[in-house]
Amino acid sequence: MSSNNLDNTKLEAERGDIPLLPKERIWGFWEFTYANSALAIATWAFLIGGATALFVGPKEGIAAIVIGNILGVVIMALSTCVACGKYGIEQFTFLRSMFGKNGSRLVYLLAVVGLTMGWLAVLGLMFGRSISGVMVLITEQKPDPQELLVYVAAFASILLTAWVVARGPTSIKIFNTIVAPALLLVMCAMLYLIFDNYSFAELMVLPALDAPFDDKRVNFMIAIEINMAAGFSWWPYIGNLARLSKNQRTAFWPNVIGVFGAAVLGEVVGLLAAATYGDSDPTVWMPHIGGLVFGVVALLFVSFANVTSMINILYTSIVGLRQVVGKQLRQMRWEVLVILFCIVPAVIVFVAPGIYDGFFIFLVWTSALNSSLAGICIADFFVLRRQRVNLRNVFAPEDDPALRFWKGFNPIALIALLVGFIIYVVLFNPQTLDNISIFQFISASLPSCLLAGLVHFTLTRMFAAKMGWGDYPTADSDMYDRKAAGMTAQAQSRTKE
Amino acid sequence: MTDQHLTQPTADLEQRIRIYEKMDQDPDWPGALQAIDYTIITLLTLGLVVTFYLWGF
Repeated sequence: MSSNNLDNTKLEAERGDIPLLPKERIWGFWEFTYANSALAIATWAFLIGGATALFVGPKEGIAAIVIGNILGVVIMALSTCVACGKYGIEQFTFLRSMFGKNGSRLVYLLAVVGLTMGWLAVLGLMFGRSISGVMVLITEQKPDPQELLVYVAAFASILLTAWVVARGPTSIKIFNTIVAPALLLVMCAMLYLIFDNYSFAELMVLPALDAPFDDKRVNFMIAIEINMAAGFSWWPYIGNLARLSKNQRTAFWPNVIGVFGAAVLGEVVGLLAAATYGDSDPTVWMPHIGGLVFGVVALLFVSFANVTSMINILYTSIVGLRQVVGKQLRQMRWEVLVILFCIVPAVIVFVAPGIYDGFFIFLVWTSALNSSLAGICIADFFVLRRQRVNLRNVFAPEDDPALRFWKGFNPIALIALLVGFIIYVVLFNPQTLDNISIFQFISASLPSCLLAGLVHFTLTRMFAAKMGWGDYPTADSDMYDRKAAGMTAQAQSRTKE
Repeated sequence: MTDQHLTQPTADLEQRIRIYEKMDQDPDWPGALQAIDYTIITLLTLGLVVTFYLWGF
């Protein structure tokens, strides 16, 4: 193979077109820990901590942050990182084995495109509010979160994001290298300033900012649900990072330190600051935390960090979009695709700016989807396929019968997804916060995850073999093992030929 | 990268698939999560949930 071909092959593997071999993977345990810590240390942690402070006081809030994040992160990582880390395959390519090829595309549109567009609008508005906050501090005017400057700055941040992403990954790497460690320092400085002014005991008795229910148990479970949603919100992104790590162990464990640890730190800072200064909006409490100079510097830095977060999610989403869409969209110029993707978030900024103040509603809606997806992935990979994915089927032509299902969609997985989503909304409606009594004991994400997995498992066992769908191993035989052995024997004989 | 590349495995893709098929036959997959990992994951998760629930609520 010529060096040109080798380069092309390496590029294809890195982009997710073909599986990465273990020797080609770049991240060991600490490299992956650093990489996902850098991504998790982001400005949305302040927003999530602030949203938690609306429902519970700091003591319950810290408990909710730890409980919600560990549950969300562990389930999310089991459902994506274990398989992607084993075979080095791109996450939505792996999903073909359970949703079908068109089904995988549908999941991408629902889970990634919607989530990214919403976050771009929220973070853009946070940028706008930060810039407005700086102006308020400098000019000593009365703050107005609805002023034109907020929307213009939010729009400008989306334009800046699009411009950087259009220039490619090199400029993104520069942003990341500077922002992640600096944001960690800013968070530690904020924590120091809070504890400099208040004792731990004083902080722990502060009340919730705006608890919606008289029943403390319901408020506590909503706070857990928000944080579980934060953990699950990594579901669409994390598998594609895990495939770059050297093996299953290095694909899984760094999430517990990186994503969980970093998110908990940022959210606790947001929670304590919001509870202390009486407002869940970081752009409101930040100017008060350390005086005028620290306030201006922190707000400017957070604005900058917001753009970095926006750049990361936009870039990842468009790379993934090119993997799952058809030939026509893939041939479109990268810059045009970036601009088209940014139109919806730009419109949301002007048409529905309320998404910022009620951002946790949007976050929890995504959890209704992500928790079900995680349940289906775990049932399919761990139970039905016994941790073995037939790569030959996954990379087969579109019309190959093994993963063809019904017109490229697996109706069983889609039914399971719908059932999981419905049970979530029945238990807890993210829009109105209405809930039924059992929600305060079992949450909504866990039953949704469990039920989606159970429906997928049961219906697959009942119908998949009869319909010839999915090439699943049968429950009571070792056919799958023998088949895999047969494939290897065929492959070896072809190699000898 | 075109659709053709994805649907008609290249020689390189074929080679990679064979490598993974061979690894799948070996009972010891290098770096695989073992029973001890799953036990620690379960205990860690339950430990944190129970401890912080009792402390915080």
